[in-house]
Amino acid sequence: MAFDVRKEVDVAVIGSGPAGLTAAIYAHRDGARKVVLLEREEELGGILKQCIHNGFGLEQFRKDYTGPEYAERLIKELEKTGVQCLLNTLVTDLSSERVITALSPEHGALEIRANSVVLAMGCRERTRPSIGIAGTRPAGIFTAGVAQRFVNIDGYLPGKKVVILGSGDIGLIMARRLTLEGARVIGVYEIMSYPGGLKRNVVQCLNDFDIPLYMSHTVIQIKGKERVEGVVVSKVDGSLRPVAGSEKFIECDTLLLSVGLIPENELSKKAGIQLSADTKGPITTETMETSVLGIFTCGNVSTVFDLVDYVAQTGAAAGTSAARYASGSLSPNKQPVDVVAGENVRLLFPQRYGFQDDLVLFIRAAEPVEMPVTVEVTPPGSRLNRPYARPNEMLRVKVPREKLADVKRPIRVSIREK
Amino acid sequence: MAAEKKHFVCVVCPIGCEIDVVHEGSTIVSMEGNKCEKSVEFVTQELIEPMRILTTTVRIQGSRWPVVPVRTDRAVAKRLFPRIMKRLRLVELQAPVNMLDVVLRDILRTGANVIATRAMPRE
Repeated sequence: MAFDVRKEVDVAVIGSGPAGLTAAIYAHRDGARKVVLLEREEELGGILKQCIHNGFGLEQFRKDYTGPEYAERLIKELEKTGVQCLLNTLVTDLSSERVITALSPEHGALEIRANSVVLAMGCRERTRPSIGIAGTRPAGIFTAGVAQRFVNIDGYLPGKKVVILGSGDIGLIMARRLTLEGARVIGVYEIMSYPGGLKRNVVQCLNDFDIPLYMSHTVIQIKGKERVEGVVVSKVDGSLRPVAGSEKFIECDTLLLSVGLIPENELSKKAGIQLSADTKGPITTETMETSVLGIFTCGNVSTVFDLVDYVAQTGAAAGTSAARYASGSLSPNKQPVDVVAGENVRLLFPQRYGFQDDLVLFIRAAEPVEMPVTVEVTPPGSRLNRPYARPNEMLRVKVPREKLADVKRPIRVSIREK
Repeated sequence: MAAEKKHFVCVVCPIGCEIDVVHEGSTIVSMEGNKCEKSVEFVTQELIEPMRILTTTVRIQGSRWPVVPVRTDRAVAKRLFPRIMKRLRLVELQAPVNMLDVVLRDILRTGANVIATRAMPRE
């Protein structure tokens, strides 16, 4: 069914996962009349469609949804808005003047000029080359998310005897999923001394099914000709180097990698947006504005979040800001100040404060602290208490706008034992 | 009944207290490590019967994708998971399916229904 694609829009949102859907809903709600949502896949929802487990929306909706149910709730809301959704549409270019070039089998090459653009492209998985495992190159090596798609959408079981490297949430979720489907998950091996994923996932996905988790272990070699025949695992020392003599061969036909996610910022780079070396996403203010005027960012393209609730929260902020910028009602930033990582902070989002709104900070700790901590934000000298700090669970703290009005120098964020 | 020791990680909230419990059957004799009282209910239920929501997929004919995601509409005994999975392998749906459609009623007499968690139109 052909229809006219809007060529000049108030707001264009790139990506229709939880961040993009929420941004489009909020852009419309806050007054943008012409909103277009661009999605490269054939359905809306992004990665939620393959996350068939529950635990989504606990904070935002006080409900325990599965990924597809959570997506459906947002899609239903979006359908009421008149936002134009372009599916199978791959954005190939974005200029700093906010001209989007996209390709679609239905509409051919498209050029869309937007008053505001929201980046919601999400992230992708780190792969074998990004961690450099020695050995042969047989079939049977998958990232956890690819395996998740095979099982939950395409209906294939990728293997029967599985080793999982990395204890990111997707790896943990897949350990349970593959076990339920009749595969044998021999173990999950984590190079760090603490798990990569949320504690509740370690408990409900591994402990519940008696799947062992080996901390301070890694895979140092993959063996097999046509198909994976096994892997060599090894303990690692304090500097994450394999400990000689601790190597062990484990027979398996499949290796899943759950070794981290990287924000997908190819388009951001084309638009000349400044990226953070820490988050690998755009350097952003509290209104989700990037370094390029009129381009906003949200969700996992900004920094990798742990919870969909956080992703949606940034989506809402980006949608609102994009609508306000498109209508000219977003006042230009008073000279923004940097927000910088202090003691025990590995990364921060947002990295700039523009004096427009409350400062909601997402903070990832560098090292775990299993006792009460204080998050210190100076200036203005706000101190917020939390029961613990763990690298695998982002801390979220809010500093009200009034407290920040007179700030003139960089805002430093530290996590200290109380 | 003799007292036994067991270790739990409470999942009521994200703190995830590590709890050491001494119990006789499903009666808690003593527990250590919990920061609040909510853990008592959690541990008691774990001692009686660990209950979980099961999420999985079932086969479907006549739609874009060969499987449709499903879940139990309430928590079921975790020990029944293998049997429920076995039963669900026998299911083959016909598209279209709506979200929350009942796929199997009262599975294994648990009182729980298995429901679809997305719509799957006919194609």
